[in-house]
Amino acid sequence: MPSASPRLFQHGRIASAGSRNLLVADVLVDETGRIIAVGPGLTAPAGAEVIDCSGGVLVPGMFDVHVHAREPGQEHKETLATCSAAALRGGITGVVLMPDTTPPIDTGNLVKSAMDLVSELSAIPMFQSGCLTKGREGREMAGFSGMASRGVPMLTDADRAVPCPDLLRRCMEYARDFDLLVTSHCDTPALTKAGAINEGRVSYRFGLPGIPAISQEIAIDRDIRVAQHTGAKLHLQQISTARGLKSMQGAKEAGTSVTGEVSPHHLVLTEQDIHDYNTHFKFHPPLRPAPDVEALVAGFIDGTIDVLACDHAPHTEFEKSSEFGSAPFGAAGLETTVPVMFDRFIRKGIFGWDLLIERYSIAPRRLVGLVPVMITEGAKAEFFVFDPEGTTAVTRETMKTKSPVTPFLGETLAGNVRGTVLGTAWYPQGK
Amino acid sequence: MRDLKPRKDLLDIEGLELPEIEYVLSNAVPFKQLFQRSVKKVPTLRGKTVLNLFYEPSTRTSSSFEVAANRLSADVTNFTVSSSSVVKGESLLDTIETLQAMRSDYIVIRHQAAGVPNIVAQHTGASVINAGDGYHAHPTQALLDAMTFREVYPDYQGRRMVIVGDVLHSRVARSTSTLFHKLGIEVGVLGPGTLIPPGRHEFIQRFRSWDEVFDWKPDAVYLLRVQLERQEGMFFPSIAEYHKMYGMNTERLVRLRQIGAYLMHPGPVNRGVEITDEAMRYERSLISTQVENGIAVRMAVLHWLKPETDTD
Repeated sequence: MPSASPRLFQHGRIASAGSRNLLVADVLVDETGRIIAVGPGLTAPAGAEVIDCSGGVLVPGMFDVHVHAREPGQEHKETLATCSAAALRGGITGVVLMPDTTPPIDTGNLVKSAMDLVSELSAIPMFQSGCLTKGREGREMAGFSGMASRGVPMLTDADRAVPCPDLLRRCMEYARDFDLLVTSHCDTPALTKAGAINEGRVSYRFGLPGIPAISQEIAIDRDIRVAQHTGAKLHLQQISTARGLKSMQGAKEAGTSVTGEVSPHHLVLTEQDIHDYNTHFKFHPPLRPAPDVEALVAGFIDGTIDVLACDHAPHTEFEKSSEFGSAPFGAAGLETTVPVMFDRFIRKGIFGWDLLIERYSIAPRRLVGLVPVMITEGAKAEFFVFDPEGTTAVTRETMKTKSPVTPFLGETLAGNVRGTVLGTAWYPQGK
Repeated sequence: MRDLKPRKDLLDIEGLELPEIEYVLSNAVPFKQLFQRSVKKVPTLRGKTVLNLFYEPSTRTSSSFEVAANRLSADVTNFTVSSSSVVKGESLLDTIETLQAMRSDYIVIRHQAAGVPNIVAQHTGASVINAGDGYHAHPTQALLDAMTFREVYPDYQGRRMVIVGDVLHSRVARSTSTLFHKLGIEVGVLGPGTLIPPGRHEFIQRFRSWDEVFDWKPDAVYLLRVQLERQEGMFFPSIAEYHKMYGMNTERLVRLRQIGAYLMHPGPVNRGVEITDEAMRYERSLISTQVENGIAVRMAVLHWLKPETDTD
């Protein structure tokens, strides 16, 4: 709840990108929402609210560059209000919104309308991205200059690749002069067709049409080459195969301005986890075999992959309850990402909070031109308190998103976001 | 007499255990003997209801289940949903609610989308029998194929069958190869590279020509129907070329006869595509036996499954 009294976060340990070690310190936030002191044994000023963080870790607020909030136009799936509540529950204090709303955000005026809605309805900063092509139809360039003047952080056709290489080339050439980041959902629709899961042993066993790995890999190669040719800045969404990762690594070594993201589900789930035609496991790109997942984890750790992005893509349980082949792709991710990363990696010592902060707080903000947040004196308070001894039960009832559809439904994950601080506001358990 | 775990649904072959397969196949034998009698009916399922729910037209499979249910004295309702009235993915849950209200004990379902019988089975107490879903599974076809093979080869273990044609889009190939493998019968496939998926079960070996097939000396050749309506892309240049490369023609029939192999086909056949008129008259063709055994096997399946619809 927003309040004007100072807050003292006591007995916690502060995580930061610089070091795997946690710093034992209290954090004092004043009534303007600014951190005014960080250090051991701070005394609470008169009237301050004291929050006991014993055993807890204070982590800089995360930032997700791949979020479908569905508003305007698809409020039956999610709203800006439920989306921001889910983000706060998951320790996320800022997101980039995909432009595939109804209508698609493809002009400066629409960006302004969308940002007006955000300031009215969202509890966290949200940055509206714009379409590459009008109506996301892949036929004509969208209104780049208008969208650039409204400050879009990136251009993307959100879950659709631009099929025509000529149009993609012109988009990149045009975007370069506005210094706009071109973001690509790497896919070759002519190869993906009606595919529903990764093509291979699992698709054969389920009798479902497959999406071949080359569908994404060819698109990654193509988009990198067009970016090299035009000199545009390119961001690759949802890298899912070892071969695609290798292409990106090669491009980086060649000095290309390219970044890439991976989702938590592609890091922790394989195609073998799909069971009983459960559509909560239906993603695009699809879950891949174990060797790809192992390569992605390695790339996430060594920095070939720049950012983690959850591709929060809520669909109603009804929409997801149709047969696997025609159910929509995607699932909710905002409130499970941090607990999943803790449960599967940090808790096991595979990497530390420092790496997660680098990939999910610092790098994504830098990607869209924002200053990273830190838990230091003088900074705006933007962090969450994580309880490593707690648990997060992923259930329909406890989730904040309007569409509690996730492959982790029914799991109890180790660790829990106890609460999130954003300026003067403190949201215990995301409330 | 049986110590099998009661099973509610028959959704695919993968989930079946060998004793269950033996139970069904051995029970099908007395059911088949029944067909020789003037009274072909037994009272096994008197008072029970069977709903035949077909989202894809199939006179053969639908009739086979209907006859099987009738011979067990069940009440049968046929419900054919024309695919044009079903909007993609729209109303599956609504359909399930409707089915629940009908209080059927057994639901036989065919659907063009893989996994639909699994979803229906999760939401109903009725026994769900998959009568074919997308490319996924067609378990009763596999069981009738096994029954047919075992009739001509009582010493079936270690024998060989080659499946010819469109394995990629075939639920029959998936289910039948899995069942034959479970029974200890070797399975190979022949077909164009576009239609033999690399992700197939590792126990299935691939042949590139009829010469390789005949060198392998299969005990049965199983021709798949060329699903002309399923070729959404270009998988081979022409029907004529398919027939030339993979069809059962006069020359191949001679070689089939030389090794004494049987011929099988799930029906309905495309004459002149995967098989010639002449090959249809082959003395070791098991095609009509497969149809007859289909009824017996489906009776055995209905007899075996245990619906969870009894409230008392």
